[in-house]
Amino acid sequence: MEANALDQALMVVGTVMIVWGAVSDLIGALGMLRFPNFFVRLHAATVGTIWGAFVPLIGVSLFAAGYEGLGFYRWFMAGGALVTAFLLLLLAPVGSHALARAAYRSRAAEVKPKVVDFLEEFVKKVMGGENDRA
Amino acid sequence: MDENVLLNMILYALPVYLLAFLLYVVRAVKGPTIPDMVLAVDALSYDLAAFLAILAVVFKIPILIPVAIVLALWIYALDIYVAKYLESKEMGE
Repeated sequence: MEANALDQALMVVGTVMIVWGAVSDLIGALGMLRFPNFFVRLHAATVGTIWGAFVPLIGVSLFAAGYEGLGFYRWFMAGGALVTAFLLLLLAPVGSHALARAAYRSRAAEVKPKVVDFLEEFVKKVMGGENDRA
Repeated sequence: MDENVLLNMILYALPVYLLAFLLYVVRAVKGPTIPDMVLAVDALSYDLAAFLAILAVVFKIPILIPVAIVLALWIYALDIYVAKYLESKEMGE
């Protein structure tokens, strides 16, 4: 039952990434609960998805690649977790960006700590205040 | 290092994930606007996909890995649907 050095290194790195992801997930959830409005909460969502979901999925992949106790399904689980991680890395920012754009253009959430908003001025000047249509 | 020690460390990390899920659910229920709720459900589900993958490795249940992939893809579909509805007030044909 003595695992070799490479497998042990993979498992230690995977465990560190999973625990790191748990801490980041808690930080992201606290930010999601405590931040004042939608456009500030997008920042907490970034922490919660990339550091709280992408990093532990890579950790699961490394852990499964070094864990001989999984038997026949070892590489299935390592590869599946890797595919999930890269899908999430591509899809989470695209989804958040589409949601933020829609929330801005439909005025569903207000831009609260605002110093200057060039897009709003541009739309008002060029398109005659017609901001709520795509 | 023995693999049982590492598995125990991962087991101690699981309640932290559950606490984070609880905070996301609070925001998803009381979020004042629609984008707030969708953003909270979004982050909750991506983290749930990671949690499923961790459970699959710790308890040796390989069928949970495809479940995590499908969950990530459906939550992306939710984002796009809600964004499209907010922008043009219709779901698309």
